[in-house]
Amino acid sequence: MSNVVMQTRIRLARNLKKYPFPQRLNTAGKNEVAEEIIKAVKNSNSPLSKELNILYVKDLTEAQRISLVEQHLASPEFMSDSAGRALILSKDKTMSIMINEEDHIRLQILYKDFNLEQAYDTADKLDTLLDENLDFAFDEKLGYLTQCPTNLGTGMRASVMLHLPALKSSKAIGRIAGNLSKLGLTIRGAYGEGTEPEGAMYQLSNQVTLGISEKAAIENLKNIAQQLVTQELQSEKRMSENLETQDKIFRSLGILKTAKLISCKEALELLSNVRFGINASLIKDVSLETVDELITEIQPATMMVNKNEKIPPRERDILRAEILNEKLN
Amino acid sequence: MKCQKCNKNEANTHVKRVINGEFEEYHLCSECAKEMGYSNVFSDFTNSFADDFNSLFGSFFENALPARTQATRCETCGTSYNDIARTGMMGCADCYEVFADRILPTIRRIHGNTTHMGKNSPSYKKVEVEEKPETKPKDELSELKEQLDTAIKNQEFEKAAVLRDKIKEKENENE
Repeated sequence: MSNVVMQTRIRLARNLKKYPFPQRLNTAGKNEVAEEIIKAVKNSNSPLSKELNILYVKDLTEAQRISLVEQHLASPEFMSDSAGRALILSKDKTMSIMINEEDHIRLQILYKDFNLEQAYDTADKLDTLLDENLDFAFDEKLGYLTQCPTNLGTGMRASVMLHLPALKSSKAIGRIAGNLSKLGLTIRGAYGEGTEPEGAMYQLSNQVTLGISEKAAIENLKNIAQQLVTQELQSEKRMSENLETQDKIFRSLGILKTAKLISCKEALELLSNVRFGINASLIKDVSLETVDELITEIQPATMMVNKNEKIPPRERDILRAEILNEKLN
Repeated sequence: MKCQKCNKNEANTHVKRVINGEFEEYHLCSECAKEMGYSNVFSDFTNSFADDFNSLFGSFFENALPARTQATRCETCGTSYNDIARTGMMGCADCYEVFADRILPTIRRIHGNTTHMGKNSPSYKKVEVEEKPETKPKDELSELKEQLDTAIKNQEFEKAAVLRDKIKEKENENE
């Protein structure tokens, strides 16, 4: 099950009652909000208060900012502006709070397996502890009040990242996507642009936040995710018996092991094929963990942050090939 | 601005992404946004906001709306309904109350309903529980006292006696 589900994420949007929403705040106002939230987190008796990193966006280099986006710890929108913005991050990176993104607080729990209930439970507890020190904007009828009415109510966005190579290649994903909106869910590519997400990685999340409880929304998402996983595994099984598919998988591994220059896009495609090969028990000497780590490690900004230097595109393609050769041989 | 993907329709969805290590911004039309997996909640939302706004604005001149909906700016944050329609964003928590009549139809269109079913902010509950028992009996008591005054003025002494007893009863209860 968790071979198809690569990641579980819960995000809660919260705002402080006594301040206008971020869009209506100047930098001084945002700084004030940030300090109040940071203080509340430090004083909360939560797991996050014990081991936290506070990253002020204005102090980060562009590569550091983008790398955090590549690791799914911050949104592109958050990192594209630095005024009054800060990211609170737990040491193990499973808990984070974006301060002054679209809302004052965007609390996130990120797990590397399929565990929506536990992720929500952790988010809920952290939220309750913060509630003791912060006065949240809340209305009995409309729930948590958010800057954009699309997040009203629970303020919760639950999502799972799915690796769906078989459903992608059979074009079934388009059909599925069309039906999901009727169920209050949405699916989009986790990486890359357009209708052809790179590496066949998709993000499935709930869309409706008002009139449905957190528990029901999670249950709904979980059921649909499970159905997608079942369909994917069935198609994978069928496809993996095909010699052309097997050839593609082993060629992909061969290229990753020996290439001298490789773009991020190509690497993601090939890693996706290898991942499929591991799931179908065709490839036995590479682990899923290695592949999943590489998916983040070979991202352009993350490579630069790990090397601690600015690397031009061609040199990045060389370095990427070196990393892949080493990790997969 | 035209949609950057199809170059045909008017762009109404703004998307920020990280592509190959760099920030990129897209301006898309709702069709292309939908095709790319950006659910068009946002574009539908701004469109419907504009529709609501336009239709309300139209009727504003036709049959003068009740005073409550005429509030042009939120006193707390200075946001006008026009700002909300343009950006799709509320200015502050109070905007939801100030512009309630106009945004509820849009909220219903986005979520399918307008009633929260999930977690209640723990601190919000606290305030409510503390306030209610204090204020309610007081109001009832002052109302009875007013009735008593009126009864005496109108020389309705029998009624006054009943009210006097009721007031005594209430006062004892509160102590």
